[in-house]
Amino acid sequence: MKILKFEKVESTQKTAKELVKKGEKEWTVILAKEQTKGIGRKGNFWYSPKGGLYFSLVLPKTEIEKIKIIRDLVPFLVSKVIFEEVKEKPFIKFPNDIYLRGRKIGGVMIQNFISKRRQISILGIGINTNVKEFPEDLREKATSLLIEFKKRVSNQKILKKILKEIQKVFETISK
Amino acid sequence: MKFKIKIGQKEFDIEILQVGEETKIKVNEKEFLFGEKEERKISHPRIKIPKKYFSREEILAPISGEISEIFVKEGERVKEGQKLFLLSAMKMENEILADKEGRVKKIFVKKGQIVKKDEVLLILE
Repeated sequence: MKILKFEKVESTQKTAKELVKKGEKEWTVILAKEQTKGIGRKGNFWYSPKGGLYFSLVLPKTEIEKIKIIRDLVPFLVSKVIFEEVKEKPFIKFPNDIYLRGRKIGGVMIQNFISKRRQISILGIGINTNVKEFPEDLREKATSLLIEFKKRVSNQKILKKILKEIQKVFETISK
Repeated sequence: MKFKIKIGQKEFDIEILQVGEETKIKVNEKEFLFGEKEERKISHPRIKIPKKYFSREEILAPISGEISEIFVKEGERVKEGQKLFLLSAMKMENEILADKEGRVKKIFVKKGQIVKKDEVLLILE
């Protein structure tokens, strides 16, 4: 697995797509400290200031039906990792959003790029880990682990754990 | 032996030769050898036409879902890899891309339409 780190990107999904076009292969991770145009499903804006964990993973070529299984499982994997960190269970608004104490803390999305010759699937994950504060219009809707638990978590550790869980899922699915 | 035949308005120069145990028949520029083994075409005038000028390609729905966006119009030229449709399926976003450059000949779907797997969405020529 290869992790490409960026200070600031428009969106890790967009960067991942561009890099795949330039030859990056499956299991490449695009990690950014900040996104200026972070996106969620249906192109919804995802507020992504410094402190959060934002990354996209180029998935190995897999049948689209199996990609759906991955998408269904990933919110649970992310929730499990969050639980291990803060010992409090997040709530999953299936299939994309993860909530904690009634406010959004993370999101998952998959974009497939399909032509007859090629299929690329990119999984995007955003978690409000060490985000200090949210703009006023988002304060009722979003929160972060830092705001809720008053302590910083290691983005690196959470990333590694999530990636390991995803790899395990792929191992199971490909059997 | 040489002779001419006329089929409709078209004339053909025919020459029949014996080459060893095989019979060679020349029809205008083309030569054919006949023998006991098998019929063989030994020469053929070739005109090289790039495939893109006459190939047409149907873009199919890879999965069932809803056409949430159409990014091109009929008659528009598209590049290889250009996005054609956004197909929402199983709460995933699927961008359908052009396999090759060409012109959009026909679009069979509308925004918001539900399509089935393998349904023809567009013809590219």
